[in-house]
Amino acid sequence: MSENFNIDDVSNLASIELSEDEKAKLQKDLQIILEHVDALKNIDVKDEKIDIHPLSKVLELRKDESKESLKHEDAMMNSPETKDGHFVVPPSIE
Amino acid sequence: MNLKATIGMETHVELDTKSKMFCSCEVVETDEPNVSVCPTCLGLPGALPVPNKTAIEYIVMLSLGANCKITNEGMFHRKNYFYPDLPKNYQISQFDFPVGVNGSLEIVLDEELHSVEIERVHMEEDTGKSVHMGSGRIDSATSTLLDFNRSGIPLVEVVTKPVISTSKMAVAYIEELRQVVIDLGISKGKLEKGNLRFDANISVADENANELGTKVEIKNMNSLKSLEKAIDYEIMRQSKQVEKGESVIQETRHWDENKQVTVSMRTKEGSADYRYFSDPDLPNMIIDQDFIDNSKKNIQNLPTDKRKTLKESGLSLSDSNYLDKGEKWLYDLYLSTVENTKDSKSTFNFLTGELQGQMRKAEIDELPNWVDSVKLANLINLFETNEVSFTSAKDILTKLLSEDIDPKSYASDNNLIQSSDDEEIKALVTSIIKDNQDIVERLEDPEDKLVGFLVGQVMKSSENKVNPGTVKDILLKELFG
Repeated sequence: MSENFNIDDVSNLASIELSEDEKAKLQKDLQIILEHVDALKNIDVKDEKIDIHPLSKVLELRKDESKESLKHEDAMMNSPETKDGHFVVPPSIE
Repeated sequence: MNLKATIGMETHVELDTKSKMFCSCEVVETDEPNVSVCPTCLGLPGALPVPNKTAIEYIVMLSLGANCKITNEGMFHRKNYFYPDLPKNYQISQFDFPVGVNGSLEIVLDEELHSVEIERVHMEEDTGKSVHMGSGRIDSATSTLLDFNRSGIPLVEVVTKPVISTSKMAVAYIEELRQVVIDLGISKGKLEKGNLRFDANISVADENANELGTKVEIKNMNSLKSLEKAIDYEIMRQSKQVEKGESVIQETRHWDENKQVTVSMRTKEGSADYRYFSDPDLPNMIIDQDFIDNSKKNIQNLPTDKRKTLKESGLSLSDSNYLDKGEKWLYDLYLSTVENTKDSKSTFNFLTGELQGQMRKAEIDELPNWVDSVKLANLINLFETNEVSFTSAKDILTKLLSEDIDPKSYASDNNLIQSSDDEEIKALVTSIIKDNQDIVERLEDPEDKLVGFLVGQVMKSSENKVNPGTVKDILLKELFG
């Protein structure tokens, strides 16, 4: 079984604030998912071909040509706050 | 306890494509914010990424240039994290199937060649730019302004193995990588424009330890000078801790250019925290042999090839390394000039010292069209054979940069040709000895500084028309036999 699972770490990484009730519920739900994944780990796949991607389609590439982008006004249209052509967000310092 | 430092470099190279990595927005260089953005690079819901073929060609070229093995079946992953300059809340990157793996770059340190092993070369996209508003101090910002013109520009990350041991070696590696991307023509490679951005992973441990020490990542080094200083500082900081028996914290630190120290930014996420998973919008990327062969066609004359040619011309490794990192015109000019001088060292010295110096002084970036390798070789030959003094050669070069002259005719017409007539010089020497008996009596040995004074007197009386070396030889013979 996966150890070191901490609901606080996960909510922090996802930037989602959880109440104590929600934490208890999610802790239980996510634990079930992890157990399911652990079960998958026990399957012997050493003779199986590895599919590295869920889709079998091959990636199409695009020619390096620029096309018209969004008009500046349209790009900014839904922003609650703008300044000198920028989007404004709360102070975010890493 | 003897400690050793181990450094690994992570370098982001901004590719010089016309359009962005996953959308057709033009790559623009402008101060006007948010003028080249679309639903894809703004991370709006429902937008789908389509990769740029040229960017994939460029990363294959770089991987080959760094002697990597190409992963034929690769894929893109989502690297999840929240930061406002990344509006999708994930960066499209590569995780366990990068385009290039297990390569190496040859670097020159002093007169020695070293190899820096490359772990991986992978494709990703750039983020937007943030400007923090407030009272000036970054931690008291009142709001953050976002510009997404840079969001989605193709980035290649080149990661070395932890094989670098000094700051000088790290700088030499970045210089080499920079030249590789410039010679490949895949990036402008300008550090000041952020085309090349690097982080250093540094650890310190007992030199006999089998395991590396705790790794600290250093960010925000904007120049090679700050890279060197930041690494030196960090090695010192960690060494002090290790010597005191304290443990080094695994974290990301920020180089503070003003205070010249590294400052803790945050505890470092492990790769599990990024919750990488294959991007369902982007199926498998097949790089077949045809694609590799086509990309290979565009690779020519990388720094290692140029160094080989330069070394064959007779230059030392460090001089070759200097020229292979310089501008292409200077490299070409050196090679065509040395063919006519057959003297690699003086050609190198004259072109990189005198010519470049005078061009800088005169503020000219390009040689006038009449200045060619034949004229420069003639000029170099004139002073190498002592026909003109080095001082005269410098004056002739100044003239040549402003006027179409033939160096040799100019030297003759302006009475700059030195006498190599020993009898004539001997007569001058005899006369100076006679006029300076008081000095001659004070001379103790041939190394005496006063010999230089007497040579100067002879030069002066000849109006600099004789070769100082010949003067000295004759003078010493006359004085000491």
